[in-house]
Amino acid sequence: MAICTVYTPHALNTHLGFHQKQHHHFLFYTRKHNNNNSRRVVNNSEISCSADADKTVVIGLAADSGCGKSTFMRRLTSVFGGAAEPPKGGNPDSNTLISDMTTVICLDDYHSLDRTGRKEKGVTALDPRANDFDLMYQQVKAIKDGVAVDKPIYNHVTGLLDPPELIKPPKILVIEGLHPMFDSRVRDLLDFSIYLDISNEVKFAWKIQRDMAERGHSLESIKASIEARKPDFDAYIDPQKQYADAVIEVLPTQLIPDDNEGKVLRVRLIMKEGVKLFNPVYLFDEGSTISWIPCGRKLTCSYPGIKFSYAPDTYFGHEVSVLEMDGQFDRLDELIYVESHLSNISTKFYGEVTQQMLKHADFPGSNNGTGLFQTIIGLKIRDLYEQIVASRAAAPLEAAKA
Amino acid sequence: MASFAISNLPFSTTRRHPKTLTPSPSRSIQLRISRPCVAAKAMAMRGGGGVAKFKGTQRRERLLTEMIEKKVLEATEVCEGNKDSDECKVAWDEVEEVSQAMADLRRRMENQDPLESFCSENPETDECRIYED
Repeated sequence: MAICTVYTPHALNTHLGFHQKQHHHFLFYTRKHNNNNSRRVVNNSEISCSADADKTVVIGLAADSGCGKSTFMRRLTSVFGGAAEPPKGGNPDSNTLISDMTTVICLDDYHSLDRTGRKEKGVTALDPRANDFDLMYQQVKAIKDGVAVDKPIYNHVTGLLDPPELIKPPKILVIEGLHPMFDSRVRDLLDFSIYLDISNEVKFAWKIQRDMAERGHSLESIKASIEARKPDFDAYIDPQKQYADAVIEVLPTQLIPDDNEGKVLRVRLIMKEGVKLFNPVYLFDEGSTISWIPCGRKLTCSYPGIKFSYAPDTYFGHEVSVLEMDGQFDRLDELIYVESHLSNISTKFYGEVTQQMLKHADFPGSNNGTGLFQTIIGLKIRDLYEQIVASRAAAPLEAAKA
Repeated sequence: MASFAISNLPFSTTRRHPKTLTPSPSRSIQLRISRPCVAAKAMAMRGGGGVAKFKGTQRRERLLTEMIEKKVLEATEVCEGNKDSDECKVAWDEVEEVSQAMADLRRRMENQDPLESFCSENPETDECRIYED
């Protein structure tokens, strides 16, 4: 719904607003009777049509774990309601996910070089030379302005660039991939950005879980694969951390000495201070330093238990607040207990975080900080979206009063 | 609309398990009649937790497995010479890409009844009618 305001040069101050569906344009003429001649003139009034209420909210997610099918995406789209599914009737190898409110596009689709091309040039997919940032910027901008685009498809199975698919502007667009914040123009289009930072030990443990059962893989091959990609990763992907509004850092636990299975995790949610419309989650009191072990008399936890901490900090020169969780949830009441003590989590009702976590109890990370913080970020994004929509709806009212 | 006797169908006619017509705990007896062309595509193979897989999915699985093996061998060869060369990095990057594709396929196949997504959109078609007695 777009609200158009007509400003007339005369002091009539008539405000004509009308609701307009996306992409319909109305030409508006008024008859202005001149005293001297009765010639019909188009009123030289300025029609400023701000289709702001139609503008898509764009979220960026930097992750090294494949595209659009990751757990984070599924949790995020679930917070908004509905399951995200690949577009029906299109390319079965499409990386796009569409639900009622959100569309998730994979930035791998903007590869300028396909697998053979990259082999020839000797660049990995992590290298910016393998990606077309101009096209990425153009298309994300177009979608943000409410124009549908034909986005290319990168087929991960064949390694080729397939014919494009049509992407219609959704209410919320999520761009997920390796380089959402690499290009400064694309970065400026993002309303909120998240970086998923997995530490090397945890990455190794997860890749072992993922690949060990596959024929062809061995411990050495998995290790070699991670190490070979590391230089490019550190050079091109890692620096994007500093631009993110929220970083989810996943580290090995400190509760179990010498644990290298990666089952129990220590997860830190690093939230930038001063981001418009985003209020960091906190424990007990904002800006204070707290260390909290919820297990005790009211709550019995099994080994290794749960430990929380919250503190202000600096991260790449920015003021941040860091909420950290080490350990895992074993029971429902632990989750509810923890939720009741967190503040600024933007839930609409008591127990919403728990409910969301239970809804996806089979997803990986549902019993530790990864699932918890991903869910909370999902709720914060919903809150951000609603605030943006509310502020846009309020703008024309201000103009009317003027 | 073609009509055909159930006895003529070469494949089992229940939606979930080849064991016919055992009442499942959640719903009463369900009978799904597959059209011959769809039935021909879905081989009732017990893979991935007893879920029937389309030939296309099996083919894809096989293709990806072969690709992983091939690419790992390639990468080990290429990197034997020089571990820091570009070719080495690109080779392992390809291994990673294909491994990820395989992991995605496995995740998608986990609890997927191939008919499920089709039927959620078109419950009135022959394949998707549910009869409850």
